[in-house]
Amino acid sequence: MELDGNEKRLQTLFRELKLADERIAPEFKGVWDRAQAPSPGPSRLFNISLAVATALVVLTLSSLVLWSQIWRESKPSNSVLAAGPARIDLMPPPQSAMSGVIHLGRVEPANRARSSRGDRKVVARLHPNLNARYADVRKADSISNWQSPTATLLQSPADNVLTSLPQLDRSVTELKTFLPNTPSYQNRER
Amino acid sequence: MDITELKGELERLHSPSFGWALSCCRRDRADAEEVLQTVYLKILEGKARYRGESNLKTWLFAVIRKTAITEQRKRLLRVLKSKASSNSTAERTSFAAEPAAAFERSEVRERFQRALECLPARQREALHLVFYEDLSLREAADVMGVSIGSARQHYERGKRHLRVSLNREELDYGIRWERKETPDAVS
Repeated sequence: MELDGNEKRLQTLFRELKLADERIAPEFKGVWDRAQAPSPGPSRLFNISLAVATALVVLTLSSLVLWSQIWRESKPSNSVLAAGPARIDLMPPPQSAMSGVIHLGRVEPANRARSSRGDRKVVARLHPNLNARYADVRKADSISNWQSPTATLLQSPADNVLTSLPQLDRSVTELKTFLPNTPSYQNRER
Repeated sequence: MDITELKGELERLHSPSFGWALSCCRRDRADAEEVLQTVYLKILEGKARYRGESNLKTWLFAVIRKTAITEQRKRLLRVLKSKASSNSTAERTSFAAEPAAAFERSEVRERFQRALECLPARQREALHLVFYEDLSLREAADVMGVSIGSARQHYERGKRHLRVSLNREELDYGIRWERKETPDAVS
């Protein structure tokens, strides 16, 4: 390649620059030795970060597997619950209260025919306090049904008077018939 | 190629490699040294492997160029991340403005370096590889990773820009010189 005047001038300038650079160039041995020297800092840092990343991945995967297992197990119970939710009655029904028998906390699944041991397990897992509540309800039931052994001694023929109430829309004369010493009362008793 | 043999070749090419690294690092000596060290490390670790497909000098220069670009990006990120970079920049500036080195540099060379720095990177690379490293345009194109046509274009444009830039510098220098010599300024 032939060089014109301008190119020759540029070449001279570049040669001058090259000579100046050669003077300031570092020794090959020094640079080579520095390159050969091990640099533990970044590699150790890399190892630590790699270990942390691996641990995170393992943790995430294991939690994912666990979660999917739980989800799979809870799936059939959802269908049971959807068919009819379990009803927990802690308040006594009004008729029972009037008759003197109190039913406390009877747990009744809405669809008793479908209930099975597996379903009960699922319900028990979904409601962890349920067993404790069952025990409480059973205890309350037994207390409410308790009767004194001497209760029969307290019964008398006049219990009806105390337990029955006259109707308020009757006249005074009619009300008098409820009095025990009147003849009409005696007739009614007969 | 055996590593011992390669080491010998690298030692032979060390000076031109440093010159090329300097050009890739915008004439920053510390950066050029760091780049060269990284290149040698890459070769030692086998990350950069010479397969004999091209000239060793061309291959080495291409590795230096790529490493310099990567290092420059890393440095830029580091500067953006840390505010403490101002100290290192100050150190570098002081290193560049070392009085002894400045004394050694001729006025012409300094003006030439200034003109070179004003050129776009590709044009500067093309001129450096042809005039400084005595590579052919094809070899320069291989190092730059462009086609020969593109390398020629960069080379021609670079020459033109450099001539204009040098002429302007000389003109500026002349005007300033005349002003200094004006007798009115003395009185």
